[in-house]
Amino acid sequence: MKKLLVTLMLSAMTPAAFAVTTIKAEVNGMVCAFCAKGIEKKLNALPQKQTVFVDLKSRVVALQLKDGQEVSNEAFSKVIQDAGYSVGKLERVNQTVEAIQAEVAKAEKAGSK
Amino acid sequence: MFKQQYVALGALLLSQLMMPAHAAALMGFEDSAMLMTEIGRYNQEWMLNYSPALGHAIGVEQMRMSGKGEQATTISGINYTGLIKRWNLPLAQANVWFNGSVGEARGQYDGFAYTPSLQFDMESTRLYFLAKARMIRAPNMNYDTAAVQAGFSFYETGFNQTQPWFVIEAKTMRHNDPGLQITPALRLINKHYFLEFGVTNPWQGEGFAPRLNAMFVF
Repeated sequence: MKKLLVTLMLSAMTPAAFAVTTIKAEVNGMVCAFCAKGIEKKLNALPQKQTVFVDLKSRVVALQLKDGQEVSNEAFSKVIQDAGYSVGKLERVNQTVEAIQAEVAKAEKAGSK
Repeated sequence: MFKQQYVALGALLLSQLMMPAHAAALMGFEDSAMLMTEIGRYNQEWMLNYSPALGHAIGVEQMRMSGKGEQATTISGINYTGLIKRWNLPLAQANVWFNGSVGEARGQYDGFAYTPSLQFDMESTRLYFLAKARMIRAPNMNYDTAAVQAGFSFYETGFNQTQPWFVIEAKTMRHNDPGLQITPALRLINKHYFLEFGVTNPWQGEGFAPRLNAMFVF
């Protein structure tokens, strides 16, 4: 019974404790790859960065953090602003950049039909 | 002459119809360097600038041009670019820029030269518009320039792909020959470079001239 309880507790805690954290934002004014290169370069330079994703069509910029690392929403927004853009909607999601990329590709495919 | 005016009017009307626009940044992002060049039969120009802070860039510039039957004049100077205003909209971006050099003119005209300019551009992922006016002055020299550009991309692309654009420019330069230069061009943009291949006055046998514009950010 004790074992079962411990297993249940661990399984309940594990997803939260080891969940992927990705900061996902809609960026206003991001219309050209040449001009938006700064966003990718600055985000890639962050030591907390696991992966970065930039998509012009959906205006999405996503920063997946390394396990146990943290970047505040303010710090993330400042990177975008320093590159010359403004942040619209910003959220923290428990999705990998790969999953966001697939989601965006799916939405774009559906939109082009 | 009549034909030239007709085409210029057409280009102007086209540019007015194409409301929002693409890619005419005069500087890179904070802590980046940008190299820009224009190589054509009538004008040649290159500029290298560094942006220490968002909205400001300093650098060096050299431009070369000539008037009717004149020897060419080369202006070499120190350049400043400033972003006066930027609008970041959900599906577009618009900017007002100041750009100008102070330096020395050599050639047909000699002496202190200055080239202040104002530029407005508006861009989306599919449409582009730009209007620019520039004074290019030295003692007894006036090569003031005005230009409008409009264009569209053939299709949308991802961040890591190259996007092709069709762009047409109508440009006038005082005392330059030809005074009105219409340049249809193919523009290729990706995150590493901006390349534009155009032909100035393609219908005018004498004035026909290929033109290359390029920008790189480091």
